[in-house]
Amino acid sequence: MTPILEIKKLYKSFGGLLALNNISFNINKDEIIGLVGPNGAGKTTLFNCVAGIEKPTEGQIVFANGGRTISIGGRKPEAITALGIARTFQNIRLFDNLTVVDNVKIGRHCRTRSLFFGAVFRNKSQQAEEKAITESANHFLDFAGLKGRGEEIASSMPYGDQRRLEIARALATEPCLLMLDEPAAGMNPQESRDLMDLIHRIRDKGITVLLIEHDMKVVMGVCERVVVINHGEWLAEGEPRDVQNNPKVIEAYLGTGAAGAA
Amino acid sequence: MDNLKLQNLTRGAKIRIGLLILALILPFFPFVTDYMLHIAILILLYMILALGLNIVPGFNGLLDLGYVGFYGIGAYTSGLLTYHFGLSYWVIIPLAFINGAIWGILLGAPTLRLTGDYFAIVTFGFSELVVLFLSNEIWLTRGPLGLPGIDVVSIDLSLFGGPKWEFVGELPYYYLAIVMVLVTVFVMYRIQDSRLGRAWFAIRDDEVAAVSCGVNLLGYKVIAFAISAAFGAVGGSFFARWVTFLSPDMFKFWESFLILCMIVLGGMGNIWGVMVGAMVLVSMSEVLREVLPLLGLPVEVRFLAFGLIMVLMMRYRPAGLMPIPAVAAKMRAGRVKRKKVKATVGMKQ
Repeated sequence: MTPILEIKKLYKSFGGLLALNNISFNINKDEIIGLVGPNGAGKTTLFNCVAGIEKPTEGQIVFANGGRTISIGGRKPEAITALGIARTFQNIRLFDNLTVVDNVKIGRHCRTRSLFFGAVFRNKSQQAEEKAITESANHFLDFAGLKGRGEEIASSMPYGDQRRLEIARALATEPCLLMLDEPAAGMNPQESRDLMDLIHRIRDKGITVLLIEHDMKVVMGVCERVVVINHGEWLAEGEPRDVQNNPKVIEAYLGTGAAGAA
Repeated sequence: MDNLKLQNLTRGAKIRIGLLILALILPFFPFVTDYMLHIAILILLYMILALGLNIVPGFNGLLDLGYVGFYGIGAYTSGLLTYHFGLSYWVIIPLAFINGAIWGILLGAPTLRLTGDYFAIVTFGFSELVVLFLSNEIWLTRGPLGLPGIDVVSIDLSLFGGPKWEFVGELPYYYLAIVMVLVTVFVMYRIQDSRLGRAWFAIRDDEVAAVSCGVNLLGYKVIAFAISAAFGAVGGSFFARWVTFLSPDMFKFWESFLILCMIVLGGMGNIWGVMVGAMVLVSMSEVLREVLPLLGLPVEVRFLAFGLIMVLMMRYRPAGLMPIPAVAAKMRAGRVKRKKVKATVGMKQ
């Protein structure tokens, strides 16, 4: 069990609000790990810190990939993506005016190189690169179950398909660690089951998955380990069943004297 | 634009080739006067400028109010190099391109961290700065006296023992402008369908998602700004050698606004839309110049007419005459909300 990501004593404050307060946990290679907690617990803030969108106030995030360990806390988001961490967003963020396949092609951005001169003169290396981009974009679309939908406009797709497209786009960056922010939100039971299957297939490709999820069926169904945070603090960690029965977790979700709230 | 085979051309491509042929034979129609040809060249020049500007608001979703600054830089680059060194126009084109790009980088690199309106204000300031520089640095630009007597464009083959043709009248400039527009359109199409173009569209649609895909926002915005500025400068270099006289007040702020209007009118981000926008606004400007005095109104009233057109466009066709395909599809589906359109035309924060 080698850790792929170590979060050490992480703090993040927005002015007077302490969104993350001394969070520490590890993510092991090739596991599917869930991050749960009530609304406002700081889950998305933690994601943003790992992805580089927010700068941690204090603490370290260490990413270990292929024998190298790199401290990524405070690095630029595009650099973190290039290192091999990809993410999706809680409120879907697609490139609305582009086609489905172009959305995935943009995911290939950090693995490709050509610029202005390649674009204008279409030299051999640019052509080869463009061909490879198209091929792998189609590959990731197939993988996410969107085969043959490449020419649709992203924003005109149904909600569940947009979630899949976001995952396909994230996969196109060839990550080692994929972070999914509430992937099952707004999905019907059938779509949730397909999603769980997709997450398993992603892990089988050797990609570690960290997911935030409120849908307990999905959490119980795919996660091998769960970390619970509340009010920005680490609360519990362990196998889903144990965490579910942890009195502190029940208290966090339902309040003290849970009978009244239930 | 590649692999043109007559049998498998789409309707759109046929229309475009038809228009091109029409443009090529236009000067030979008996009713076409020199004045009309002059207006046609002006339209083509504004097409180059509008296509260049389109990169910034249309492809990247950034509001640029200082484009005319680069147009002025290109024009004076061309004018001064001709005036002092007698350089051939064919050498000046790449020099103007590079000079425009350099100034685009110099302005863009420190300021493109700003978002939305703040960036627009900086660009506006830049264009005013260029005009002030051109009017006050008399040792270089002769200031308000202007730069008269710039040589016309010529094709000089004397190096190879051939003849030397000077461009006299409007006709050769007309064909030169067509070639320059074609090259510009070609470059724009190539970029639109490349990794660079996709990165720009990603920035336009969602900056946070773009950065999560590994797109370096500042870097790509600077590239966009530099290329846009370079095309502005090339347009300016043509202008200098065509009218053979330059003065600082040709590059006032309202020119930027006019070019921006062409883009908004035609459909932001759509190459053909932008060209249609340039054609409509330039020709309308000329028609109004003739019509307004007949109605007893001063010529300046035409700016009021432009304003009215923009207001009507924003009310009835906010995405322009020829919106980009995705926006057009949304319009057809009737699902487009005003907020959404605002985001796609690039006025977003």
